[in-house]
Amino acid sequence: MTAMTPPLLETRSLGKIYLNDDVETPVLFDVSLAITKGEFVAIMGPSGSGKSTLMHILGFLDTHTSGDFLFQGEQTQAFDDDALARIRATRVSFVFQAFNLLPRTTVFDNVLLPLLYHPTIPTSEREARTNKAIAAVGLTDRATFFSSQLSGGQKQRVAIARALVTDPEVIFADEPTGNLDSASGAAVMEALQKLNDAGHTIILVTHESETAAHAKRIIRLHDGRVVEDTTSFKRRVANENTKLK
Amino acid sequence: MLLSDTLRSSLAGVSSNWMRSGLTALGIVIGVGAVVLMTAIGASMEQVILGQISSLGARSMVIFPGRQEGGPQGVGTGFDSLTFDDLAALEQLKTIETPAPVMFVPGVVSAETEEDAARVMGVIPPFFENQNIDVARGRLIEYADEEAALFVAVLGPDTARNLFGDRDPIGKRVKIGDHFYSVIGVMQARGSQFFQNFDSRVFVPFSTARQVTGQKYLNFVTMRSLVEPSLALEDVQSLLRQRHDIAESADDDFTVRSADQANEILGGVSLGLTAFITMIAAISLVVGGIGIMNIMIVSVTERTREIGLRKAVGARQRDILLQFLLEAVALTLVGAVTGALVGVLLAGVISLIVPMFLESYHFALSLPAIAISLVVAAFTGIAFGYSPARTAAKLHPIDALRYE
Repeated sequence: MTAMTPPLLETRSLGKIYLNDDVETPVLFDVSLAITKGEFVAIMGPSGSGKSTLMHILGFLDTHTSGDFLFQGEQTQAFDDDALARIRATRVSFVFQAFNLLPRTTVFDNVLLPLLYHPTIPTSEREARTNKAIAAVGLTDRATFFSSQLSGGQKQRVAIARALVTDPEVIFADEPTGNLDSASGAAVMEALQKLNDAGHTIILVTHESETAAHAKRIIRLHDGRVVEDTTSFKRRVANENTKLK
Repeated sequence: MLLSDTLRSSLAGVSSNWMRSGLTALGIVIGVGAVVLMTAIGASMEQVILGQISSLGARSMVIFPGRQEGGPQGVGTGFDSLTFDDLAALEQLKTIETPAPVMFVPGVVSAETEEDAARVMGVIPPFFENQNIDVARGRLIEYADEEAALFVAVLGPDTARNLFGDRDPIGKRVKIGDHFYSVIGVMQARGSQFFQNFDSRVFVPFSTARQVTGQKYLNFVTMRSLVEPSLALEDVQSLLRQRHDIAESADDDFTVRSADQANEILGGVSLGLTAFITMIAAISLVVGGIGIMNIMIVSVTERTREIGLRKAVGARQRDILLQFLLEAVALTLVGAVTGALVGVLLAGVISLIVPMFLESYHFALSLPAIAISLVVAAFTGIAFGYSPARTAAKLHPIDALRYE
């Protein structure tokens, strides 16, 4: 029997309880899912369903309180702050609804930012990588502009360039089109689609069906539980088993 | 993150709001500027005073008659406690050399049509050696003048100018009281020393002064110590106390001073001044530091989302800590360097103005004071920047990203 490559991200009965001033607020219950390299997954659900929390846990921005979360088959519980920071610097990246660009800073410097914290990419490669990422989102002519001089769509493309500059395995996008008009939204989704075609795993959080339609797999959450997974873990395993036969 | 990158991020943080950074650093600018200026003035004054002491010679000593508390104010007027016998006893002491008595000659000094308010002193040749007085023209008083009690005079340069203008006074006559003296020399200018101006003095032979005044006591005695000045001073003191039959509990009826002692007193004053300035500097730096801390707290709050973003793209706690700490240090150091430059500049301006009144004043800086203020300022930045920086470093990425 051939050894199976573990999924890139896997949760087993994962739960999350927020603790605020001794008040416990459970947000996720018994979430079990596996995401393999190269997938384009949309996590959907209404407000308060826990989709953003799930994305933050999968993106190493937050930690779970019960169950297991495995990264390439490795338990993540043992990871300390530095280890989590290193994963965020090298393996994953984010595109936020509110763009989160640095104010009073040029497009170039915004895109360059993750490279400053990357432990292995040499300084000499920074400029070329930054320019390449800016070119990939079609903003070369805006590289010296300040972020405040850009339109919403352009800002989100800068955020995408920033997300791909370190060439991460997973790109998380939290409502990336939420603040954009439909034309800009379409351009952003097209850019994410291209990244997925190039082999990046894309995990998209949205409540818009139209946006989710770009994904190959949809995970639907309701009140902190997975209520639908179009390509469920069991079915994938069944498929693998069929293939092995 | 590389230190150079962190430094660049920190400087970008400082420069992104010039006005605010500038106003924040102003406290440090003023504090350091004041310290640098005050210590520079102190250093210049110290040089002025040290110059005076060294021109007098560190071994120079003087005995005034009169009680210690009275000090030298009463010199020559009614104090008759220093006698010729005292002088003879002093000559036997092994710890001093060249004791030279001085006797004042009363009366107005005049020449032809001019008058001068110079003080006239009867001295013996070693007096000039004791006081480091040199001749500019002609000659000083010699033993031959002293032995023959000649009516000759050496003029201070100011007196020479007042009496004779630009003309050469050598060989001319001056009248002191009722007697005429022939001018044999003019001493070199040396300016004021410890509030005594030797440049407006007239020197005549001691024996002549004694003969003219008939005085039975000495106005003061100058000498040089052969050993540690404080030891020589003690020796002179015990000799005179014994000779004057002063009871153990009673005060001296004379005062002994050494240039070295003056040096020590000035050293003490300078030390006190330094401590005072240091205290002011410490207060101003603390005040400046509180300003820095305040602005760093505001900055961390304002940039919470930025901190969240930096963490999301891989910044570790220590990267954030270092960035904000360096920002605080950069603020204080920019303030401190600006303050130091302002202080040096003002000290320079003062050194252009003061010599109009005090010729021997020159531009001087206290480099240790500058170095210490810069180091202390950097530490102020670290001390007051640490808490806000730590708050920033400890922020949870999600909370920071969601901060409104």
